[in-house]
Amino acid sequence: MTYFIDSLIAALELISSFDPYIYRIVATSVSISLIASLIAAILAVPAGVFMALNRFIGKAFIQHLLNTLMAMPTVVIGLLLYGLFSRLGPLGHWGLLYTPMAVIIAEAILIFPIMMNLTITAVNSADPRLKPTLISLGASHFSLAINVIRVTRFAILAAIITGFGRAIGEVGAAMMLGGNIEGFTRTMTTAIALETSKGEFELGLALGLLLLIIAFILNFLLSWLHRPKS
Amino acid sequence: MTNAYVLNDIKVVHQQNCVLDIPHFTIPSGKCIALLGENGAGKSTLMNLLAFTEKPSHGSIQLFDQKIVDKLKPSQRRRIGVVSQQPYLLAGSVTDNIRLALKLQHIESSRYPFLIEQALEQLNLTQLKDQSAQSLSGGELKRAAIARAIAYDPDVLLLDEPFSHLDQRHIRQLESAIQSFAEQTDKTVIFSTHDQPQGLAIADDTLNLHAGKITTAPLFNLFHGALNQHDFNTGKLIIHAASGLANARHIAIDPTEIIISRQPLESSMRNSFNGHVVLIAQENNTVRLTIDCEERFQVIISPESLSQLSLALGDNVWLSFKSTAVTVF
Repeated sequence: MTYFIDSLIAALELISSFDPYIYRIVATSVSISLIASLIAAILAVPAGVFMALNRFIGKAFIQHLLNTLMAMPTVVIGLLLYGLFSRLGPLGHWGLLYTPMAVIIAEAILIFPIMMNLTITAVNSADPRLKPTLISLGASHFSLAINVIRVTRFAILAAIITGFGRAIGEVGAAMMLGGNIEGFTRTMTTAIALETSKGEFELGLALGLLLLIIAFILNFLLSWLHRPKS
Repeated sequence: MTNAYVLNDIKVVHQQNCVLDIPHFTIPSGKCIALLGENGAGKSTLMNLLAFTEKPSHGSIQLFDQKIVDKLKPSQRRRIGVVSQQPYLLAGSVTDNIRLALKLQHIESSRYPFLIEQALEQLNLTQLKDQSAQSLSGGELKRAAIARAIAYDPDVLLLDEPFSHLDQRHIRQLESAIQSFAEQTDKTVIFSTHDQPQGLAIADDTLNLHAGKITTAPLFNLFHGALNQHDFNTGKLIIHAASGLANARHIAIDPTEIIISRQPLESSMRNSFNGHVVLIAQENNTVRLTIDCEERFQVIISPESLSQLSLALGDNVWLSFKSTAVTVF
């Protein structure tokens, strides 16, 4: 117990002293996750809105595929991308393996189905009169989508935040594709795994606490977005 | 006169049930038309077709003599204003909602202030122009939705059950708003209602929908059964009809076309039934009788005829009507 309490105190000291090593890892982690979320959102939100607003052949299949991809283990994505990006892989000449870009791509792929699925849910949960009203007022496909996004913006923002939360907590793909290189691809989760295995428990604990704080902030934002309207 | 709508061989099938079946129907422009029918008669489905927010399973619809193949062009969409049964206003003020409609219809932005003001004035909403749409009462919300629909000056205004769930004051306000729009040259108004007297009160013409089929006859004396040649069998009575439609399953008889007498009449009228009076009701300047002749008939006569025949409840009477008074559909 003393070991745990001593480690916790040491971790809090590391956080409060703004240890550059820790905060560089946090910055790397946040920036990689933010860029991945941005890329995923740019693709997933329009795709989700399109899917929710239209009926087409294969829609049910895509929905099943999205549900399956949401449950896909991150190491599987890591494995597949490793095969593509490794020197002998078809995209090996891009030289992406063990770069932040590889981690960004992996995280964007990981969170795309989550964001798209939650966007579909957001649009589907809008008032059923919204779409016919906008169409009867003369909305084109594009202006219909824009106005639906405007009306459901908080739920869509919640989808993006959920995706970011998943990205920042991801470890498998980040480890396999980033290689845990200090100052370059070392994220909070990969650092926790490394430092703990090295016996640097307090360092791992400090990063874990910061990850928890980020998770708390994200959840606070989500509940604020979902607060009941007066 | 141009036609606002021409419907040809329309069928709408929902979950293997044919909810609307209109072989041919024309709605001339410049008329105020009430679409009557009970709940589930297909009124909302027909309104959706006319608004082009739903496609028929079969058949075609022409809008102002132009056949609509797939979707409305923006210029055609601008000719139709739609107000649904439970209108949806987007978050923002009444003015924001009207502005959105003008924007979606690609109206020049310099015209917005004039058109918004005009629409608000027409619906007596000027005082509520900055009020949040979410805080409007039921009647105000419907008027705001109408203001939004007429702001871009459509040629056709479609209103689905505009008077439902409103108190008398709001109904009167809506009626006058609809009438003032309809009075403009060449404006067509089509509104659905299950309240027959209300439809008759403000409309030039009425259309009746019953079980997905359309008829222009008032839906009094509505009987269901099967037509064989010119004889319609209700299961209790055989009623002679002048014209027949293949597969017709309903008939309606105009209550003002039925003649009441104490004795059987010798006349050219093909239908004559004996029954007794079960209800006498005075309505404005008319008297409505209900006569039980196996089937119950509604008959409208004048108060003078009532006193001349000195009818009382339970009296034995004969009712007669021409086969041309029978509408088959």
